[in-house]
Amino acid sequence: MISVVYLILLALPSPTQPSECTDDYYAIDLIPTRRVPAARQAEGSVRLTFVPSPFGVAVDPNGSYRYNLDVQVNRLGPVPGHEYTVWLSTPNLKEVVRLGPLSREGHIAGSVSWNKFLVIITLEPEGSAPVRWTGPVVMRGLSRSGLMHTMAGHGPFEQEPCTVYGYY
Amino acid sequence: MPASSPDSIVWRMPPMDMSMPMLPGLENALPPTPPDLPLQDPGLLSAIPGEVLTLANGDSLYLTATPVRRQIAGQDVVMFGYNGQYPGPLLKVSKGSTITVVFQNALTEPTTVHWHGLRLDNRFDGIPGMTQPPVEAGDDFVYELRFPDTGLYWYHPHIREDVQQDLGLYGNMLVLPEIPDYYVPVNRDEVLLLDDILLDENGLIPYGKEVPTHALMGRFGNVMLTNGVTDYRFEVDRGDVVRFHLTNVANARAFNVNFGGLPIKVVASDLSRFEQEAWVNSIAISPAERYVVEVLFPESGTVAITNTIQAIDHFRGEFYTHIDTLALAMVGETPASPDHSPFFAKLRANPAVSADLASFRDHFDRPPDKSLTLSLRVRNLPIPIMLSMEIDTLYVPPVEWNDAMPMMNWLSTGAQVEWVLRETDTGLENMDIRWDFQVGDVVKVRIFNDPRSFHPMQHPIHFHGQRFLVLETDGNRNQHLVWKDTATVPVGSTMDFLVDMSNPGDWMAHCHIAEHLQSGMMLGFSVKPPPINR
Repeated sequence: MISVVYLILLALPSPTQPSECTDDYYAIDLIPTRRVPAARQAEGSVRLTFVPSPFGVAVDPNGSYRYNLDVQVNRLGPVPGHEYTVWLSTPNLKEVVRLGPLSREGHIAGSVSWNKFLVIITLEPEGSAPVRWTGPVVMRGLSRSGLMHTMAGHGPFEQEPCTVYGYY
Repeated sequence: MPASSPDSIVWRMPPMDMSMPMLPGLENALPPTPPDLPLQDPGLLSAIPGEVLTLANGDSLYLTATPVRRQIAGQDVVMFGYNGQYPGPLLKVSKGSTITVVFQNALTEPTTVHWHGLRLDNRFDGIPGMTQPPVEAGDDFVYELRFPDTGLYWYHPHIREDVQQDLGLYGNMLVLPEIPDYYVPVNRDEVLLLDDILLDENGLIPYGKEVPTHALMGRFGNVMLTNGVTDYRFEVDRGDVVRFHLTNVANARAFNVNFGGLPIKVVASDLSRFEQEAWVNSIAISPAERYVVEVLFPESGTVAITNTIQAIDHFRGEFYTHIDTLALAMVGETPASPDHSPFFAKLRANPAVSADLASFRDHFDRPPDKSLTLSLRVRNLPIPIMLSMEIDTLYVPPVEWNDAMPMMNWLSTGAQVEWVLRETDTGLENMDIRWDFQVGDVVKVRIFNDPRSFHPMQHPIHFHGQRFLVLETDGNRNQHLVWKDTATVPVGSTMDFLVDMSNPGDWMAHCHIAEHLQSGMMLGFSVKPPPINR
């Protein structure tokens, strides 16, 4: 058992000795909700790269990053009469964009100009194109920027309650 | 203005957003280096706006670095200037010409002048200890400059850039084309140097005397300067097409420049035109980069040129929109004459650039010759900073557009922070790296900006004396090819630079965030002349 743990530890990236050319820092892991039996074993991720730009980094006039998204999901079982549809949303769900249905290979590409966002995959009736999702959420993920959370009530500032700053 | 003495300079904490609470344990902390500022002297002359000097082949220029008096945002401050001007004089020269610059150092500290982006004779690159000794106070040095490439360049010190450049030692060089239709006709040109400076109600926040402060993120200013002033404005006619020559001379700040929502045509960058012009809605420009863009002003009124960013508030864990006005275009009622809008409407391809690139395309797909990882080491930072930054690095943005942690950044100095260029193959770091090339070598350099280092940040990488193409970012081929000397590697990105080793000598490559350079982030490379055939 100890040797197994040791091997696992060896395989983990060390924070001080990164592997060369790691480019998955901003990748989004998609987590299955287990609400749809055919998708309980699904695994997937979203790779982000900058939209091509003369400046290397791509931002819109408002300063938000412009990313191309490459969504890849595996182990999604078919559900007759339905398709897996990918959505993008701001964290507060005020704005939702339908990216479209996943291909048979579990792939779709698109772009986004939000700095913090959710990627949501739902099961929708085949051929439907609703403005918002109607079916169950199958998988979801959060952009890496979502890890930025208020320090108001935590860590070194814990003497100041979150509620003062509007967090509940 | 009373005279001051070194003893009168004390540390003052940089201005902070008052809603951002002080990190516990840092209430009385100060940077571990003495504070430094140019001394007040009643005899100092007030600086004047920069002049435009058109120089012919063989001309000489006398350039002097002096302390000057400046009025910025209501503050009476002592800064530096070339020839007593802000910015330094704009030098207009023709492609292919050579000029002589007789430089005199009238400061009380050593300096040099680096002619950023020029593929010039190595002896005149201005690198202390590499291409020349420092120009000591009161001494002079004669530079001979040649201008082989049309484009926009700039000059600045290469000793304590974090201080001397920030205090106003910078100016542009505009190398004019030898062919008339190099650019399309426009109604006027505007040369804009973008900068920022850090002030409070008592004037300039002091600099670190022995090592730079703000070593983590670089010294962001809180007051924007365009061509050295806070209220730069210019007049145009309705329908005028204006060609802007933009240079970012800030220590650390990257700008996202908007022209009031007007479409922007990107025409050229550091050393050449783009192979294919492009429409954009804003310009992301990092320290030391240059872009040439064209804008049509169709309606009368005032157009604000802004820096519009999504800043980060780490305390609240949020992005928020922050806008600074950089300049105002006052658009009059008189219609443009002549009307250049038909030229503006079209995007041009530049066959001359394509022809220049042709011999390099064979190198596009081969493996890299050199590989670098960008990282950093820290030691002896205050414990609250270490703890807080470990939380902070749960997420780091690709580009830091604002100083999101001004207190922690201020307290970090070059004595505690070492920024690192690490060669992947050898493990060598910074100036222990010494690459050897020959003139004519085409070298692919892969640069990875490690997002899992202690405090990653974007790095505008500058190669001295050569030109390069950005070939790929994160495996995606760059569709906007242009010859550069400085390009930013965002956090987490891997970029391939194809460097044309065309200019012999001993050179540097480094991060152009001034505090990162002063904290070690540089390497050396040598380009040998071609062998002589007997």
